[in-house]
Amino acid sequence: MASVFSGAPPQSGPGYSFKQTPTEAPSGTRQHGFYPYTDNGGSTLGISGADFTILAGDTRHTSGYNINTRYAPKLFKIGGEGPDNKGASIVLSVVGFAADGEALKERLDTIVKMYKYQHGKPMSVAACAQRLSHILYGKRFFPYYVHAILGGLDEEGRGALYSYDPVGSYEREQCRAAGAAASLIMPFLDNQVNFKNQYVPDSGSGHELQEKPRTPLDQNHVLELVRDAFTSAVERHIEVGDGLQVMIIKKEGIMEAFHPLKQD
Amino acid sequence: MDSLVSQYSRPVHSAEGPSQDEHQELSQTTPPLSLQFSLPPVAQSSAWLRAMTDDYSNPNCPIKIAHGTTTLAFRFKGGIIVATDSRATAGNWIASQTVKKVIEINNCLLGTMAGGAADCQYWLAYLGMQCRLHELRHKRRISVAAASKILANLVYSYKGMGLSMGTMCAGVTPQEGPALYYIDSDGTRLAGNLFCVGSGQTFAYGVLDAEYSYDLDDEAALELGRRSILAATHRDAYSGGFINLYHVKEDGWVKHGFNDTNPIFWKTKLEKGEFSNVTADLE
Amino acid sequence: MEVLLGITGKDFTIVAASKAAMRGATILKASDDKTRALNSTSLMAFSGEAGDTVQFAEYIQANIQLYSMRNSMELSPTATANFVRGELARALRSRRPYTVNLILGGYDKIADKPTLYWIDYLASLAPVPYAAHGYAQYYCLSILDKHHHPDIDFEQGMKLLRMCTQELKRRLPIDFKGVVVKVITKDGIREQEYEDDVKVAIP
Repeated sequence: MASVFSGAPPQSGPGYSFKQTPTEAPSGTRQHGFYPYTDNGGSTLGISGADFTILAGDTRHTSGYNINTRYAPKLFKIGGEGPDNKGASIVLSVVGFAADGEALKERLDTIVKMYKYQHGKPMSVAACAQRLSHILYGKRFFPYYVHAILGGLDEEGRGALYSYDPVGSYEREQCRAAGAAASLIMPFLDNQVNFKNQYVPDSGSGHELQEKPRTPLDQNHVLELVRDAFTSAVERHIEVGDGLQVMIIKKEGIMEAFHPLKQD
Repeated sequence: MDSLVSQYSRPVHSAEGPSQDEHQELSQTTPPLSLQFSLPPVAQSSAWLRAMTDDYSNPNCPIKIAHGTTTLAFRFKGGIIVATDSRATAGNWIASQTVKKVIEINNCLLGTMAGGAADCQYWLAYLGMQCRLHELRHKRRISVAAASKILANLVYSYKGMGLSMGTMCAGVTPQEGPALYYIDSDGTRLAGNLFCVGSGQTFAYGVLDAEYSYDLDDEAALELGRRSILAATHRDAYSGGFINLYHVKEDGWVKHGFNDTNPIFWKTKLEKGEFSNVTADLE
Repeated sequence: MEVLLGITGKDFTIVAASKAAMRGATILKASDDKTRALNSTSLMAFSGEAGDTVQFAEYIQANIQLYSMRNSMELSPTATANFVRGELARALRSRRPYTVNLILGGYDKIADKPTLYWIDYLASLAPVPYAAHGYAQYYCLSILDKHHHPDIDFEQGMKLLRMCTQELKRRLPIDFKGVVVKVITKDGIREQEYEDDVKVAIP
């Protein structure tokens, strides 16, 4: 009978990451039997511009060293209509534990939809951002294992981007990378989007050097930055790869694109 | 027997989909900024939470919660100065350099943020809501003493659950004048003239205590606040980013900028000759 | 809660060490001197594991004095610092290392400059303009960052030390019973009178 169920992953060697979590303390006393999390890898990033917001995420889904699927989207349209979320203007990206991400998206989506039905108008991103924070904080003592980024357009039509920690502290930012390759991508974004450590040439020497002023970036340029960030992250992080899902939020609607990344 | 079975059996799909409560929550549009938090299905939920999120006791914990760091506030004859850094760290990772650690509860009450960023953000927003409700119910603004007590009682009711916050409430009201309170997640609530909170607190205290006096003028007080945060960002690796400065006066608070520490550091060093330990020549 | 402080100035080095000898919750002695003079221009202040501290300091003191006798000349403060570091590093790799933090104040007669070295129990050595060990680091370094200048005179140096000890009295939860203050100049080492019972108010 047991052989029927032997389709499970091998019990030794590299396996699911939750198999590696300690169930026993070094002393031998039993510690925690309850570990409802795993890290499904991957990375997301968002950049907001003058009249657009771009969110992107790779589509690899991993458990430990195993690749479960090469196409598991991390970007979700929130509050649209029908199965394709038509007419949505807010995008949520979640990275971390995919099941928690899915649950979070489902919850936020329902709330934003209910808001629209009851108020007869779509929810603003600012309101949605605060609501998401409260959803995350509602699980303060049993957190969602996710790093969320929310993108949309604010009431003046400017790009709006909000990033969250697992228990709901949030901040509006110009750009943010999250997930496995955040530490690879974020410094690049600081340099290329906020011009950190860039100076105006010939503006002096030493402490007289002038910082390069921040200018709104052009949409195509931002898209190039996003693709560069991911192709580079793929080269140096095992949990990132396979495909790049990109969503561009503009007042005309959301454009979605898919670019292949290296499959190895 | 059949009646016994039917008494304990449930229809096949009864446990699927959202529960009654969840249904209600989803269809309710106003967020229940209430005190219903989901808990893990274990006996010791606080120990479990600590194992999952406390990177101090367990550096390999899976969920890294963003933490805040150096904040100070002091009372003087011109009101109250509130100053903070802007760095948030998750383990050794600098999660953000642009955190707003001064939370504007309303136009004459400020809160500061040290400890868990989400805890402070959420509960100070909750406090803001309670303060507004107090105004509506009593037709006058809440005193700083009462506001701080709402927060202190609230966090005390969660004692042992794993909240982490060290906050200061600063405000000016007609009854009290300028008032400053320190509240932390242990349940401590103290009124005082001068507090520094966070991992960089000692460094800020060093500079602040040395030159603090109640009779400081506005300009000197602002400069002292700024310089104390700078001292903390210089010596404490968990502090850095920008210096956020506020001045609370009788008719509300005034913001005095959100300035990068790096140019301020070099200006202080080169113009005043301070930080003589920073040297380029190798002995 | 042991306090060690060091400050250099134009032509002097001040070294201060707390006077309380603590074991657990008890203060055994309130006039302990946690310093040893190594030769006429080098002074070592120490804190750390009970027993290790004095043993290590007196071992170093004896060896530095032996060097002076054998060679009819004194080791310079820099050479002394490197010797101390070497001994601490050697002990660290033995079966029983010394758990001792040190501050080495000195006056270099050849370069005609005051010197100060910070050494921790892992044998890290750093030349510094001002130094602190233990909780004093947390409270005093920011004060020194702000108020120290390399060319201060002795009175300003003592004022700076007063600022530091006052802050410690104000903020440390345990009384460290004041400090012993030693001054190293080109004329040698001397003990400085220091008033310990000045009242401080907490704002």
